[in-house]
Amino acid sequence: MRLLLSLLLTLVEAMSFFMALFYVLSRARAFQTRPGGSAARTWLLRWLFFTGITITGSYLGIPLQGGAIANTRAVGAMVAGFVGGPWLGLAVGSAAGLHRLTLGGYTALAGAVATTMEGLVGGLVHRELEQREGPGRLPGWRLAFGVTALTEVVHMGWVLLLSRPLADAVETVKVIGPPMILANAVGVALFALVMRDRQRVRDQVAADSSARALRVARRTLGILARGFGPATAPEVARIIREETGAGAVAVTDTTTVLAFDGLGSDHHRAGTPIVSPFSRRAIERNELVFADGVREHFDCPLSPTCQLDAVLVAPLQVDGVVIGTVQLYEPRHRRFRSVNRSLGEGLAPLLSAQLLAARYEEAKGLLTAQELKLVQAQVNPHFLFNSLNTIASVLRTDSGRARDLLLHLAAFFRKNLKRPPDLATLREELEHVGAYLEIERARFADRLTVETDVDPALLELRLPAFTLQPLVENAFKHGLAQLTGPGTARIRARRAAGLALIEIEDDAGAYVEPVGGDGLGMRIVDKRIKNLLGQEYGVAVTCVPGELTRVTVRVPAPEARA
Amino acid sequence: MIRALLVDDEVHAREELAALLAETGAVEVVGTCGHALEAIPALRALRPDVIFLDVQMPKVSGFELLTLLDPDDVPQVVFVTAHDEFAVRAFEENAVDYLLKPVERTRLGRTIERLRRGLDAPPAGLAQAAIKRVPCQGARSIRLVDLADVESVRSSEAGVYLVTAAGEHFTELTLRVLEERAGLFRCHKQHLVNVDRVDEILLGEDDGAVVRTRSGRTVPVSRRFLGALKQRLGL
Repeated sequence: MRLLLSLLLTLVEAMSFFMALFYVLSRARAFQTRPGGSAARTWLLRWLFFTGITITGSYLGIPLQGGAIANTRAVGAMVAGFVGGPWLGLAVGSAAGLHRLTLGGYTALAGAVATTMEGLVGGLVHRELEQREGPGRLPGWRLAFGVTALTEVVHMGWVLLLSRPLADAVETVKVIGPPMILANAVGVALFALVMRDRQRVRDQVAADSSARALRVARRTLGILARGFGPATAPEVARIIREETGAGAVAVTDTTTVLAFDGLGSDHHRAGTPIVSPFSRRAIERNELVFADGVREHFDCPLSPTCQLDAVLVAPLQVDGVVIGTVQLYEPRHRRFRSVNRSLGEGLAPLLSAQLLAARYEEAKGLLTAQELKLVQAQVNPHFLFNSLNTIASVLRTDSGRARDLLLHLAAFFRKNLKRPPDLATLREELEHVGAYLEIERARFADRLTVETDVDPALLELRLPAFTLQPLVENAFKHGLAQLTGPGTARIRARRAAGLALIEIEDDAGAYVEPVGGDGLGMRIVDKRIKNLLGQEYGVAVTCVPGELTRVTVRVPAPEARA
Repeated sequence: MIRALLVDDEVHAREELAALLAETGAVEVVGTCGHALEAIPALRALRPDVIFLDVQMPKVSGFELLTLLDPDDVPQVVFVTAHDEFAVRAFEENAVDYLLKPVERTRLGRTIERLRRGLDAPPAGLAQAAIKRVPCQGARSIRLVDLADVESVRSSEAGVYLVTAAGEHFTELTLRVLEERAGLFRCHKQHLVNVDRVDEILLGEDDGAVVRTRSGRTVPVSRRFLGALKQRLGL
């Protein structure tokens, strides 16, 4: 009994040594499967480590009479299988088994076979878990204990089967069986506990940084949609600093600091050129650059008193081209939190995706600008020559009025030919339309009435330039001009439910759903309003055939003045 | 003097052209019309030598007007338009000339020359496209009645009316034009019927008959046309 106890104690001692060794080494990179790392190298390192542990298990065992060794070899082989799968388990087990053979003794063969088998069994458990629960799963301590205890029982079976004389074998098993089964099972279970715990911590860090990165992304989405530049960068930098708690955060383009928020903002200023070699490297090579403040320091090129010491520079890219960086800084004597590090790594692609989306929006905006030009160029030659013909006619009877009409025509074309700004006031829009209406009124003098009713408080309302003219022109071309009798056009602007509504109405009621390329003008007007003011605004048409067509423009109302 | 009818939907355009024509001293403007349908009865009543015709007008264009005219009513045609995109089509329609607004005096002089030469010859036959929708004058606008909706057409002293399931529409078109170009079937001196809308033929006592249309209206069929109608209906 005393022998049993002392055996158990020795084995536990050996186990403690493994545990300590494992804890230290498991922090090494070789034990973290990371994408992009060399798989062969990782495998080899693991094989060396676990084979080492397993062989040490032989040495730290207690030699008994006749060359039997009470040992903890099972631990290394089994854990190797858990971590690396059947091949690693088999490789570790067989290597340590071969080594056991060299130590001699009448149980050597049984031990070698058992260890090899244990490595393989560990690996099979790994494979089974992987298939059931996904990659990277490790067995829980109960499973680890059970499997190891079972394989050690089988180990004893090998001894009885292979070792001769049988009487000695039976005696040996009696002595070493219970402590070895117990010690190895406990040891492997402990390993499983420690490994699982480490995995959980790593997952936690990853989840935490993902959650933060997403929070940053959510907050920056609207901002970056307005573009990436000196106007939006300060807000982005501030949000990232709020979410990470980093000492300082910088946002740069490829040459200039666009924003700097936090410690050192007295000498790190927006608008200054990029000088840090870390930033340059990140931009030139399109890669993440990290100076941890321990092995590598951020030596501020601007100020000798700068406190910043550690930096993470993550490149921002659109379509694979670096367009800037996001940088997280920590001062001396403050640890660069690993959460922030993985957050910085995760954030860059998220922000890049947002920038791509913004670029896309911008391109869409440009497209409508092109289309707008098209509409302007569509200035109807019929309108021009009919107007000139009307003026020629009026000139016979009323040269003053003819002169007025010429001036209206000039004003109308001047507006049309000018490249419009994005937004214009309602007043400017009405002036543009007014010139057009004056001429149409002269052309259809005998049958056209125009009524205008605009809330004067809305005259400074901002709406996309060139919104009203195409709509009013439609009302004429497709509505009033198709009448043979009198017709009325009404233009109203009023405020309703927080919106400004501009209505262009004709009493021809001749609107038909446009087909194919028709209705381009109205579509572009609608698209421009949505792009410039928001998706909830735009143009809507109601029509009562033969009675009226009403086109309603919905745009945000200006703040009511106190 | 050349007798001219002016058709343009813009009052100033009519005035300007009238003034220019007056200046030539060779043309008498016998009437003006504000849209195409107005021109049909005017042509019939005034019998002008030439029509100065705008192309773009409410609902029915100058080109379409020509397809609606009874061949007896067709005068010489001069198109007057603001843009030259219709020039080729105009000559396909055998127009005498094609003027651009604003019209130049000297250019108009050449048109008068051409007219003078051409007036001795009868008007060239105008291309006659099939009519698919029949324009009818409404209160303020021209209504285009789909031919498929027309069950029959009747002519009376008051004029020609399209009969549809929903009601009757006055039209300036003649029975002859509707028969020849709209594919309506002559069943009586004063009636046309749309054979696609005929429900049944009810034979009468004195060799005549009536057809009943889908909406239940009856149209008289005279003995003269009964055989042809039966044949057309495949009876």
